[in-house]
Amino acid sequence: MQKAVARPSITSARPLSLGAVGRIFPHIVLLILTFTSLMPFVWMFFGSFKTYVELTSGRTLLPIEWTFDNYVQITQRVGFPRAFLNTTLVAVSITLATLITSSAAGYVFAKYRFWGKEKLFTVLLSTMMVPFAVVLVPLYVTVANLGLADKLAGIIVTGLCSTFGIFLMRQFMESIPNDLIDAGRIDGASEWWIFSRVVLPLAKSSLSALAVFTFLGSWDSFLWPLVVLTSPDNQTLPIVLAGLRNLYWSRYEMYAAGSMLTVLPVMIVYALASKHFVQGIAMTGIKG
Amino acid sequence: MTTQTALSQTMVPRRNTGATIAKTLRRPQFWFGLIVLLPILVWYAWFAFGPVLRAFWMATVRYDLMDPAASTFVGLKNFEQVFSYPLFWVSVQRTIAFSLYVYVGTLPLALFVSLCLVAVAQGRNFYQTVIFLPVVVSYVAVALLFRMLMDPQNGQFNQILSALGLPTSLWVTGPNSALPAIAMVDIWKGLGFHVVIITAGLLGIPTEMYDAAKVDGAGAWHRFRYVTIPLLGNTLLLESVIIVAGTLQAFTNGEVLGCAGDACFFISRLVYAEAFTNLRFGFATASAFVLFVFILVLTLIQVRTLKPDWQY
Repeated sequence: MQKAVARPSITSARPLSLGAVGRIFPHIVLLILTFTSLMPFVWMFFGSFKTYVELTSGRTLLPIEWTFDNYVQITQRVGFPRAFLNTTLVAVSITLATLITSSAAGYVFAKYRFWGKEKLFTVLLSTMMVPFAVVLVPLYVTVANLGLADKLAGIIVTGLCSTFGIFLMRQFMESIPNDLIDAGRIDGASEWWIFSRVVLPLAKSSLSALAVFTFLGSWDSFLWPLVVLTSPDNQTLPIVLAGLRNLYWSRYEMYAAGSMLTVLPVMIVYALASKHFVQGIAMTGIKG
Repeated sequence: MTTQTALSQTMVPRRNTGATIAKTLRRPQFWFGLIVLLPILVWYAWFAFGPVLRAFWMATVRYDLMDPAASTFVGLKNFEQVFSYPLFWVSVQRTIAFSLYVYVGTLPLALFVSLCLVAVAQGRNFYQTVIFLPVVVSYVAVALLFRMLMDPQNGQFNQILSALGLPTSLWVTGPNSALPAIAMVDIWKGLGFHVVIITAGLLGIPTEMYDAAKVDGAGAWHRFRYVTIPLLGNTLLLESVIIVAGTLQAFTNGEVLGCAGDACFFISRLVYAEAFTNLRFGFATASAFVLFVFILVLTLIQVRTLKPDWQY
């Protein structure tokens, strides 16, 4: 994404050429959108500190009477801390595994030549076309046959490789000059040394983007963990959170507190890495 | 592939097969490639291709839960059952309607916002980051959040509407308003993603194109209509395919948002319910295949009709 991939200039503006209106109007639209994007979260944040009565009948955004009772209840009775640990374990494992498999396979597909390479790559890509619903039941049976039903390992094992990740890393690594790799080979460096010391450092920005994608994707994942993880002790945050609607029917202050606990880590990761994230999507979009 | 390294070129089998194999086996690239690709291919065989093949088998047998190996082949019977199941057609209708609402709402809005983003010099990154925020958070949290906001009695939306003197709505709890309401949530959640892709596409259009059009006396509208839209063709096609394939697979929002009755009973929810509530594995997988074919056909139609016939 740095030198290697041609990025369009993002510093110059392209005014709509409508005079002063043309300069102010886009800002107005974008400010409205900023407001509508943030406001629900702000409301949820303050709502999580309100009592049920205040949340459903109050007219103010800020709580008149701050209460931490919702968080206390939710951590003690619903097992959010456990779900938090489970989700972290799953998301971190899947992210690490995906980074390793995607970068290694991406490198091999980008820089090696072997018989049937393009065909093999097409076959791997074709798995992206299959809707998840098609493999939902068979994949569950596969995981259950391995004795991994209702185990976090059942989620992790299905996330070890990512077709999207391999695609993304291949795209990037094709832009790394061959001279760099050849220079290493002439100097007698091993393939592993070239990969880990030359190629990976160059791919840092792409790897960061992929890491954030994968981490957030598995953190937010719902359908698959819902199928695999059945006992409360093994569930991840979105599953436990969705369970609140049966446990606390229409207790919105509980929803708000639970949602905050689920969303906050994501927002922190996003705040730290939003640059990589947005650029990563833009890159796949351009290439797509 | 002309820029491939000289060293790795020797990995292609040559006429002298025996010598080439011996040579290949001595190459460090061969071993590195093997160590990398072999485990990955085993994983794909096990967790990607295997389940797809098993899905084909499952959709054509009467699945025996106690002893899967004893399942009997029934041909297309599962599909016949799917097509004669009234709830399946309900789910198809809901899914298509939802998809249409989101499509019609997202594309013009995302294009409009992207044009605004491209037009500002300062604060573009800030705006993009904020608009993207709903994309990264859990859909379950978003669904619960809007469940609160859309509550007919004491939700914020109705409070705002009545404060403005406008008629209130039942939102997702109304049989007729459920689909537009759930589509609205989906548009809100996905907009940032589409804006980022379209903005990247807009910034990829060479500035000279606009300059040339300006010299020719084209106004803002003409430049948009005859420069921007055609040159954005590939991006819009990608967008169109992503939105259609994504919305047709909707699951989480319908499951968590609490729609009235079966108003948001999408095909993926039917698959899930049939498989894990009614334990009809064959039926569930057969209906998933119908969804697959559906997405495939729609994607092909879009590529055929929307693919630009130029390159620059």
